[in-house]
Amino acid sequence: MPERGSLVVYVVDDDAAIRDSLALMIGLAGYATRLFADAESFLAAFEPAWSGCVVADLRLPGLSGVELQARIRERGSSIPFVIITAHGDVRAARDAFRAHAVDFIEKPFEDVQLRAAIDSAFDLESARLEDAELRRVDTAKLARLTPREREVLEHAVNGSHAKEIAAALGISPRTVEVHKTRIMEKLEVRNIAELVRLRFR
Amino acid sequence: MKLLRYLRDAAVFAPCYLLLDWVSYIHPLGPFNITPWNPQPALAIAWMLLGGLVHAPAVFATILLADLVVRSVPLGVSLVTALVLSAGYAGLAYGLRVLLRPRPDLHSLRQLTLFIALVIPGSALIAAGFVGVLFALGSLGPADALPAWLRFWVGDAVGVLVTAPLLLVVADGAGRRSFAAMARRWETYAQIALLAATLWLIFAGLGGDPSHHFYLVFLPLIWIAIRHGLGGAIAAVGVVQLGVVLGIHRHPIQGLPIIELQALVAALTLTALYLGVMMDERQRATEGLKQSLRLATAGEMAGAIAHEVNQPLTALTNYARSGQMLLAAGRTDELMGVIERMLAEAQRASEVVRRLRDFFREGRTRLERVPVVELLESARRDAQDSRIGSFAVSGDSGLPYVLVDRLQIELVLRNLIRNAAEAMDGAPGAGRIDVSAQCDDAAHVRIVVRDNGPGISAARRAKVFEPFVSGKPTGMGLGLAVSRAIAEAHGGSLDAMPGGHGEFHLVLPVEAAHA
Repeated sequence: MPERGSLVVYVVDDDAAIRDSLALMIGLAGYATRLFADAESFLAAFEPAWSGCVVADLRLPGLSGVELQARIRERGSSIPFVIITAHGDVRAARDAFRAHAVDFIEKPFEDVQLRAAIDSAFDLESARLEDAELRRVDTAKLARLTPREREVLEHAVNGSHAKEIAAALGISPRTVEVHKTRIMEKLEVRNIAELVRLRFR
Repeated sequence: MKLLRYLRDAAVFAPCYLLLDWVSYIHPLGPFNITPWNPQPALAIAWMLLGGLVHAPAVFATILLADLVVRSVPLGVSLVTALVLSAGYAGLAYGLRVLLRPRPDLHSLRQLTLFIALVIPGSALIAAGFVGVLFALGSLGPADALPAWLRFWVGDAVGVLVTAPLLLVVADGAGRRSFAAMARRWETYAQIALLAATLWLIFAGLGGDPSHHFYLVFLPLIWIAIRHGLGGAIAAVGVVQLGVVLGIHRHPIQGLPIIELQALVAALTLTALYLGVMMDERQRATEGLKQSLRLATAGEMAGAIAHEVNQPLTALTNYARSGQMLLAAGRTDELMGVIERMLAEAQRASEVVRRLRDFFREGRTRLERVPVVELLESARRDAQDSRIGSFAVSGDSGLPYVLVDRLQIELVLRNLIRNAAEAMDGAPGAGRIDVSAQCDDAAHVRIVVRDNGPGISAARRAKVFEPFVSGKPTGMGLGLAVSRAIAEAHGGSLDAMPGGHGEFHLVLPVEAAHA
């Protein structure tokens, strides 16, 4: 499971004092931060591997916070957004939620409000990252198998018995058993049920 | 005390009534002296309309007195006719008092229509009563009764239609002020001169029957009604009536033509009064629109300022929370820096609040001497982050100071730049905005915001400044309307230049003594 420490709060706000004070407060609360003055500089710097949470002002000089979120989604990232605004605009709030922002917070806000929003965004990110990590590990483990072992695995997870696999692959049932033991060792699973779950994760 | 005041009012009313009766006592018909122009009933009606029916006995006594003094009518007959007339006028006054509630004025089409609808049939009834009494007493033959009734009706109706509105205006403080304002304009004297010249033409200059050329007087009257509204129309109609009376006096014509002439005066009066009221109503509608635009401006300003004040408040809250955390962590050495920043943000917030207060207290704002260069600099800052292809600011050397509300003018410039940036949305990267300033003359400086977007067509040019007209799907359409209102409130202007590219010109008056 990844550490929370790898998650970053990306602040996008055109007001220098807001950026500075947010960075200070969030930083003191133990979060890592990166600051951007507008949507465009965030987009220019953005990498799909970034994870954490974007805290973006709704009204920015160029693209708005909600538009920025849409661009980021187009790039295939699901990094959660928290939209903040000094306008308290109902219509904008609706747009933000429709675009699946984690939260929509009116300025001025209490730090607990913002931290709750960041934490729920981080929970989403952690779950997503954990999932991705598991899949990455699984893929790495599967890569350790020899081609023959992969063939055996495919048959095994489809529910075939050793004799059926042996007949299909033209080898002895005893050899199939050996392969199966090696597969379970390499994939670090204890039984067929775990093997099936890993294969189809 | 009450009785004293009553007697005092009556002592003013009676001589005025007698004077009017005497002045208008021209071309009497038959032994009962039915004249073609009777302004005095208007005085009686106005008095009872404004003061109440308690004045009816005094009116009766005055009419009786007038008959004896001005007309030398036998007392017996006069007693009856005075009773009929005073009762009739009292009835008319009462009717008007009820219909024109809450205030007896003619400021709306409805009030004017009610007034006319009551006066014309009312005076017909009074005339019928008067002539009927004379007929019953055998003083009028059957052949004379109908012409006498017609003459009396037209005389009274015209008298009331022309004079009563005049009296109502004079009795009202605002009405007197509007007359005084008219007297201060040279145009008024030109209009009076034209009116007099027209009347002279009708009665003397052109010769022949005055009623044939009477239509000419409509022209100056329309001019006056359009320029001065109801007040002007009422005064002008009074002048026309006086002119007609004088004209008849100088060039006597017997019999029917006078009635015809008076009927024309009545038609003229109705036209002028309606035109005047409509001009007044249009004026009021324009005022109302201006007022609602002012409110919209205030609303837009309030929204902008609320945003401006929320920003420092947010930063302040964040810094305060950070300070707490630093304190809890024992990192007190870092507190000083945070507190400095809190003070700066508090200062920023209070500045915005001060402007907000000024804006609503004075209806407008705090003017300060701002160098035009600084306005350009703030425009540059606004545009800096908006990712326009390129942005350039230029200006003459030695640009002057302007006396403006910095926040408002910056709002206007920000609006113009945001509009320009949005206009070029279709062509990313290639967008270019130029902001430049130069002196028009010694008194005006012109700030031009130009973009290379599609521009504004001549047809849309006027429309873009209308409130609630927006080219943006999310726009309230108040931006440019408010911007223009702000420019005009500063004694300047904001205009769009039609053409193949977007171009807005903001002109501001130069602060006279610049250092």
